[in-house]
Amino acid sequence: MLWIAIHLPLLSLESFAATLSLDAAAQPLALIDAQAILAVNAPARALGVKPGFKRATALALAPQLTLGLADLVRDAQALTAVAHAALAFTPMVVIQPDDPPHTVLLEVQASLRYFGGLPALQLRLKDALAPLGHRLHIVSASTPLGAALLAHVQPDLDCADQAATNRALARAPVWLLGPGRAHWEALQGMGLHTIDDLKRVPRDGLARRFGPVVLDELDRATGARPDPREPITLPPTFDSRLELFARADTTEQLMHGAAVLLARLVAWLSAQHAFVRRFTLVMEHEKRSRHDAPGSGITTLEVALAEPSRDSAHLLVLLRERLSQLQLPAPTLDLRLHAEDIARRAAPNTELFPTPAAEHEGLTRLIERLQARLGREQVQRLVPVRDHRPEHATAWRTADAQMRPARPRAMEQATSHEGANAAHLVRPVWLLQKPEPLPERDVAGERGLWCEGQPLLLLSGPERIESGWWDFEAVARDYYIAQLPGGALVWIFRERVPAAGANLSWFLQGRFG
Amino acid sequence: MDLLPALFPPAAPEVAPRVLPSVRAARALYRQATDLQATDLPAPPRPAVPPPIRPENLHPALWLGHQLARHADAAVPTGFEALDAQLPGAGWPRRALTELLLPHPGVGEIRLVAPSLAAAQRAGRLVMLFDPPTTLSAGALAHLGFAVEDLLVINTRNRARIQGAAGTDSLWALEQALKSGHVGAVLAWLPPRLRAERLRRLQLAAQAHDGPAFVLCEMSAAQRPTAAPLRLALRASGADALAVRVLKRRGPMLEAPLQLTLPPVLSAVAQQRAKAGVAPADAAVYAPAKQAASLRAVTLVNLAIG
Repeated sequence: MLWIAIHLPLLSLESFAATLSLDAAAQPLALIDAQAILAVNAPARALGVKPGFKRATALALAPQLTLGLADLVRDAQALTAVAHAALAFTPMVVIQPDDPPHTVLLEVQASLRYFGGLPALQLRLKDALAPLGHRLHIVSASTPLGAALLAHVQPDLDCADQAATNRALARAPVWLLGPGRAHWEALQGMGLHTIDDLKRVPRDGLARRFGPVVLDELDRATGARPDPREPITLPPTFDSRLELFARADTTEQLMHGAAVLLARLVAWLSAQHAFVRRFTLVMEHEKRSRHDAPGSGITTLEVALAEPSRDSAHLLVLLRERLSQLQLPAPTLDLRLHAEDIARRAAPNTELFPTPAAEHEGLTRLIERLQARLGREQVQRLVPVRDHRPEHATAWRTADAQMRPARPRAMEQATSHEGANAAHLVRPVWLLQKPEPLPERDVAGERGLWCEGQPLLLLSGPERIESGWWDFEAVARDYYIAQLPGGALVWIFRERVPAAGANLSWFLQGRFG
Repeated sequence: MDLLPALFPPAAPEVAPRVLPSVRAARALYRQATDLQATDLPAPPRPAVPPPIRPENLHPALWLGHQLARHADAAVPTGFEALDAQLPGAGWPRRALTELLLPHPGVGEIRLVAPSLAAAQRAGRLVMLFDPPTTLSAGALAHLGFAVEDLLVINTRNRARIQGAAGTDSLWALEQALKSGHVGAVLAWLPPRLRAERLRRLQLAAQAHDGPAFVLCEMSAAQRPTAAPLRLALRASGADALAVRVLKRRGPMLEAPLQLTLPPVLSAVAQQRAKAGVAPADAAVYAPAKQAASLRAVTLVNLAIG
């Protein structure tokens, strides 16, 4: 058995920083509990604030200090995310109940061969945990309790077997054990400073004085007594909540919290090797008045992906674009991220050289990004329609982000088919949305057509396009190709039945691009 | 006086440099070999005077002022031989913008770029159009060889009109497409009066774009400097003919505009009329009485619904 213990020494402070905006999280922060400072971040430490200070002392040293309270639920959610990220490496993941707190345990003996040894596994573990943004103590030992205890005092330690674990534990201070802390003064008085000292004294006397719990914990840590653990199970749907410390007035201020929640979502996904298809960000707003209905101040933002993804950078870009489009009705107090629509599939191969699959994925992401910012309606596709009226021969469809360029063969067929059909039909590339009336003028005794102040020369035609009664847009037109003096060709038509009251019967329909 | 010799000890006697035996053996071998060469082989010919170093042979990025630049990666053939001959790399550049200046849409610009864009589609790559000025006709594009349903059109004009921020979305979208490096070819109509640094930003983004990237601007943009390495001004010069003036290229100035013959829209008869500059005699369209008799067109009456 080889256990890895991940201890998060600054978990409470880091989970508090996650509820702030990114700028505020870089300012001096401290965690406070009943007038005494519990933990401080680096900027606060630079100002001289230390754990154990009184509130007034700390504020005198650093007036701009942001003080927060530890929140057990908030810490537990952050710890759960760490456990989820660890589930990608082994199914046997345990959250150490308490004592020492803020510790996740992994049993990795069976995974070592797959990940290429303990150092490689620890590197990948650190990479997987990096997006969650915690400071980590990672210790491996042969018993779960031994690893957890050692992680509490050592930032980095590898004990290969039981003997090494026991040697490391022997040097550890006696207050690490839960009962040792309760009887700390008595143990000090007896000259028992390290766990090694504790092991040297007679066991029956120790049990009589301090109860059997001390011996029990000592034996479990050193492997003399079995220590069965129950692994955590993964919830079938993802739901994580973040209560913001300050009201967020703009969507930009929400981004930090949203990024934290997305990192948790990615951890949950990687635990089951799945990819998310859609997720929902629920923003709960401040109530405008006391009489607002409970559910009224809620904005829901749903992000659907064309290609299921687990890439936090891509998810974050999509969410950022969508959030920047959003107008918040009121300041936001609370964020919740919910996901249940996931796709389980094999992880994509990593490629050294560009491949069509990589290009397709890149295109899908590009189109998703464009759709997220511009809106789905602005990313379009042209579809030819079999209609003889030029205005109706082209339809626009919203493009699907999954669209992939045509296979060459299918395209050749399509063009040859279209070509045979359209060989005798000459159409301009540019069509005016609304035909533009063309004036007729008399110049030097001859009647002529004019376009943009230039005389037109009719070159070919007419081509008659008629009928359309079935959708009440009947046309009766004779189309001609005409030339501007510069040489550009235009497509004009003459209404065969002039509209009532209008004497202009010539119109510009399109240009040959 | 006798101090000096004591201060400066006599110079050490000349010692023959110690040579390791293995080195000595190697020298002997070498001497043997050179002796052999000297005796057995005829004297080697005197080496010819080395050819002068030409800058264009040193590095692909170097070229002389009267030459056309060469590109590290092959350019995309334009489909027009006369144009290929005048472009560096004999085609549209990859990883760079090509700026086309038009007096108005509809001078033949689509027919000019269609061969290269259709080739990109045939290679299975995506072609994107940004902000076309008016509606496109699917039939006409299919006629030019495009796979119409695979064209992706980004239309930001409607949105810009609503939000009042004209052009920023379009440039953002274009930059994203160029940066991604996955798009095969890009054809973009830029907003008018674009600042030079915006274009420069696009040119930087285009370095990741493996394919031609056309940006179309209004003719007055010729006054401002451009970051695009290739800039052409297009003008119609007759029916189905296009005059291309090379305003900027990596190479010498080209004074005379190129005359390109575009894929014809007109029939042969109509082209002759265009050359003669006269209207068809039988198209007496202003005389309605005669017109009915001379009508030769197909009347399409579609009775089938749907």
